[in-house]
Amino acid sequence: MVEEDHLSSWQTLEEMARDFEAEHPGLSVRCLPLGGAAGSQDKGKFLLAGNVPLDLLRIDVTEFSAYLGEGALVDLEPYFAADPAWDERAFFSQVLDAIRGPQDARGEPGHLFGLPSTFTPYVMYVNLDRLAEIGFAGPRPDWTWDEFLALARTATVDDDGDGRPERFGISLTQWLQAVAPWVWQAGGELLDDAGHRSRMAEPAFAGALQFLHDLLHTEQVASFDASFPNQLSQGLFQAGRALFYGPVGYWETYRFRSLDEFAWDVLPLPRDVAAATSVAMTVYVVPRTAREPELACEFLRLLCSLRYQRLLAEIGNGVPGRIEAARSPSFLAPDRPPASERVFLDSMASARFLPPLANWRKIESLCRAELEGILLDPDVDVAAACAEMARKTDDYLARERERNARPRLPRGLLEISVSLSLLTLIGTFLARSARASGRVERRTRRAAWGLLAPWACGFVLFFLGPALVSLFFSFCEWSPLRPLGDARWVGLENFRRLADDPTFRTSLGATLSYAGLSVPLSTAAALALALLLRSGKSGVALFRTIVYVPAILSPVVVAALWRFVLDADQGLLNRSLGWIGLAGPAWLRDPDWVVPGFVLVSLWGLGSQVLVFVAALQTLDPSLDEAARIDGAGTVRRFWHVTLPGLGPVLLFNLITGAIQAFQVFAQPYGMTEGGPGDSSRFLVLYLFETAFHHLDMGYASAQAWVLFVLLALLCLSLLRAARRRVHYAGRTP
Amino acid sequence: MRIPARGGVLRLAVAAAFAFPLVFLVIVSLHAEGKGLGRGLALPAPPHFENYARAVERMGNFGRLLANTLWITLASVAGQCLCCSLAGYAFARLSFRGRDALFLCVLATMMLPDQVAAVPRFLLFRSLGMVDGYGPLILPTVLGGAPFFIFLFRQYFLSLPPELDEAARIDGAGPWRAYLTVFLPLARPMLVTVAIFTFLATWNDFWAPLVYVLSPEKRTLTLALAGFQRTYDTAVEHLMAAAGIVLFPCVLVGFLAQRFFLRGIATAASKH
Repeated sequence: MVEEDHLSSWQTLEEMARDFEAEHPGLSVRCLPLGGAAGSQDKGKFLLAGNVPLDLLRIDVTEFSAYLGEGALVDLEPYFAADPAWDERAFFSQVLDAIRGPQDARGEPGHLFGLPSTFTPYVMYVNLDRLAEIGFAGPRPDWTWDEFLALARTATVDDDGDGRPERFGISLTQWLQAVAPWVWQAGGELLDDAGHRSRMAEPAFAGALQFLHDLLHTEQVASFDASFPNQLSQGLFQAGRALFYGPVGYWETYRFRSLDEFAWDVLPLPRDVAAATSVAMTVYVVPRTAREPELACEFLRLLCSLRYQRLLAEIGNGVPGRIEAARSPSFLAPDRPPASERVFLDSMASARFLPPLANWRKIESLCRAELEGILLDPDVDVAAACAEMARKTDDYLARERERNARPRLPRGLLEISVSLSLLTLIGTFLARSARASGRVERRTRRAAWGLLAPWACGFVLFFLGPALVSLFFSFCEWSPLRPLGDARWVGLENFRRLADDPTFRTSLGATLSYAGLSVPLSTAAALALALLLRSGKSGVALFRTIVYVPAILSPVVVAALWRFVLDADQGLLNRSLGWIGLAGPAWLRDPDWVVPGFVLVSLWGLGSQVLVFVAALQTLDPSLDEAARIDGAGTVRRFWHVTLPGLGPVLLFNLITGAIQAFQVFAQPYGMTEGGPGDSSRFLVLYLFETAFHHLDMGYASAQAWVLFVLLALLCLSLLRAARRRVHYAGRTP
Repeated sequence: MRIPARGGVLRLAVAAAFAFPLVFLVIVSLHAEGKGLGRGLALPAPPHFENYARAVERMGNFGRLLANTLWITLASVAGQCLCCSLAGYAFARLSFRGRDALFLCVLATMMLPDQVAAVPRFLLFRSLGMVDGYGPLILPTVLGGAPFFIFLFRQYFLSLPPELDEAARIDGAGPWRAYLTVFLPLARPMLVTVAIFTFLATWNDFWAPLVYVLSPEKRTLTLALAGFQRTYDTAVEHLMAAAGIVLFPCVLVGFLAQRFFLRGIATAASKH
């Protein structure tokens, strides 16, 4: 019934569920884990898209408006209004305001569509030992950007004199929620009050981003290590090499508990023309698919009760949304650092949420290339990049407003047209292939159809059918959170959008360069390794296995592992390069090196190609090679003229399967970079997936899928074509 | 071609490069919580083997997870071997109208990104009431979802001499009996190959379980492993230990199976 992804709060949640069951005999509450990984937020959408009757769902507040906008949430106000014991003043008011629907015509506050689990304002983490070292007791509570900059400058040290600092003033966080406070402090805004236009092109916005850009590039007091996907790895703050770390939320206290090398604490963010911070939060909502909204609402009240909220605070889950719980010793005085939990509560005075009426997950990914460009690219024109962010956001907001004006699809049109086209396809095929004459032929045909029946059923049901449905979707606008009947016909617009979508172009470019590098490289490397490991001796077989093993690991494991291998500062690869005196690039954080980084991952997994080559080498006729040797041909010539031609078909096979895999690379970027930095590793399938499930734009995603499919099919056909003339099939015909 | 004598050193270097990240995984997994990264490649003293116990404990009911994963894996392996060998046999040894068009369909499924079909497929399983079961995990792979294996079987059956059909026909056996009595037994190396491939693919599958498995008691090992990532209270050391546990059977299978792969792939890959 409830979704939860925080492991230690799981037990507490289960306890509350059992309590609730005890209060309601005959009722059973089931709690579903979300899977926890990056996929957890997507899973919630899958569940709703699948009409799975969930009664309560935990979501991130940045997704609230997407759910609300799709009509996926139940209005809780009537349930609360019916309860005399309900008092919304028990919760932080900003927190509730972030989960309200739009105001009504009379300006009354919008209705509540959820209740907070825990939240956290963004604060600044500080290394106290380092602060004392540079001779400061601690900044004033109301410190300014100037004071912050002065401290950061003092703390930045180039220890080895190579012109690049080793110790930094701040390890600066780089995602939108973390950048927003600087904008607000500078007096800027992200959107106008109505949420219809962006204000990112305004000077205050650009000024704040210029300040951050300068911290990183002109002043060089900030380090690059704190991008969002990078959070799990060990940052410079943990390594004791940054004075400040932030702006970031309460969750980091969890990771830093095991830090015993230095003392640390939290501070409010510095101010510029105003004090401001942003807030991250998870909320409980009741989805439209709920069967028992009333009971769900009651359970929700229990989850937001003082007792449960105090339990959450004790675990260290975040700041409880209930004021009394947040002010209780459970939150303020647990037996662990930081010493100044109060800072989180005090920061609420100037805390704001990202404007709640927009889909921030979508806007963030729209603007990500520019935002990360501003932060990572030393030569960027900040004002121009901000203007581009504004333009993209405005386009998106305008399209959102237009959407509801489009004609709705007639009921059942999708089902009917898809089943008709399926029937036509199958019918045509059957009619054409059934024109058999002789008895024997008919008998063979019957047998063949029988033998192929399991495959054919699966093909029609799970591939052809869905592919047709997605072809249909590519002419529509439809969100997977809405009922099918809500799809709207847009004609060719999705394909038109593709033609001038810069993200799609970047994505296509990244995919092509990844495939262009990884396919030839891994095929060549696999062939070389196969020659090295071809012999049948048992020692060699062991080596072969070692080379093969990485190829069979779960992509989840590979992604988890390689995040740490490719980490810029602490990673295995750069440390190894350091031992031989080379400075490795920042790999996953460098737009120019992220694709080569993924190519390395793919090279690590080339074991099955090696085996295919070894297998082919072992079937080659040794007498040919022998004959060439007797004729005096050298190693290289024998390879070119004897071995390689013999491998033709296998080479082709490896190239084609390699190309297919390269074009569909997904799990690694999903688990390692989420497409960053900017859009530089947003490979086609990843972009397609995000379009469908983060932006909830199934039509556009389907159009992308079809473009990808056609590209891939063309590539494979041309490979086959080119091969027909060159590849020699040792005198056999199929 | 003969490999020069320095091949031994080269081989050793290659193996070391490939094993390096996995050695790193093991070393990180043996450090104390929060201490695994940034300390080079030295083993900690004492090694924290309890990380593995802790990882098992945090994954939830480990026996259950293992049993679920094994059940899905075995069902897929059995189904895959049967369906793919049937189709491969029909494509290789029977000639009938429309065969080439159908085989093109097989190859086309390879090029269809899985994410494309995901939502329509989900809508289908929902309307069949099969969400939160293993059907959606097993059926699409077993039925039609394995173009590569059909291809392998086809290549293998193509490589067998044409006299076999002849002999079966003279014995009065139809295609079905010929498949069962003559061809299937001969395809043993390919069956083992496909079984191993399927084992690995299913064991490692993450997306289908993420989407379709809802009840905690039906979760699989990769899901439990993924549950370790991106939760802020997870230590890298435990994540690595959990990864080690999940990948261990794969490594084992890789060791045992490498020889079969060679034999199986050799026949399939050497001709088109």
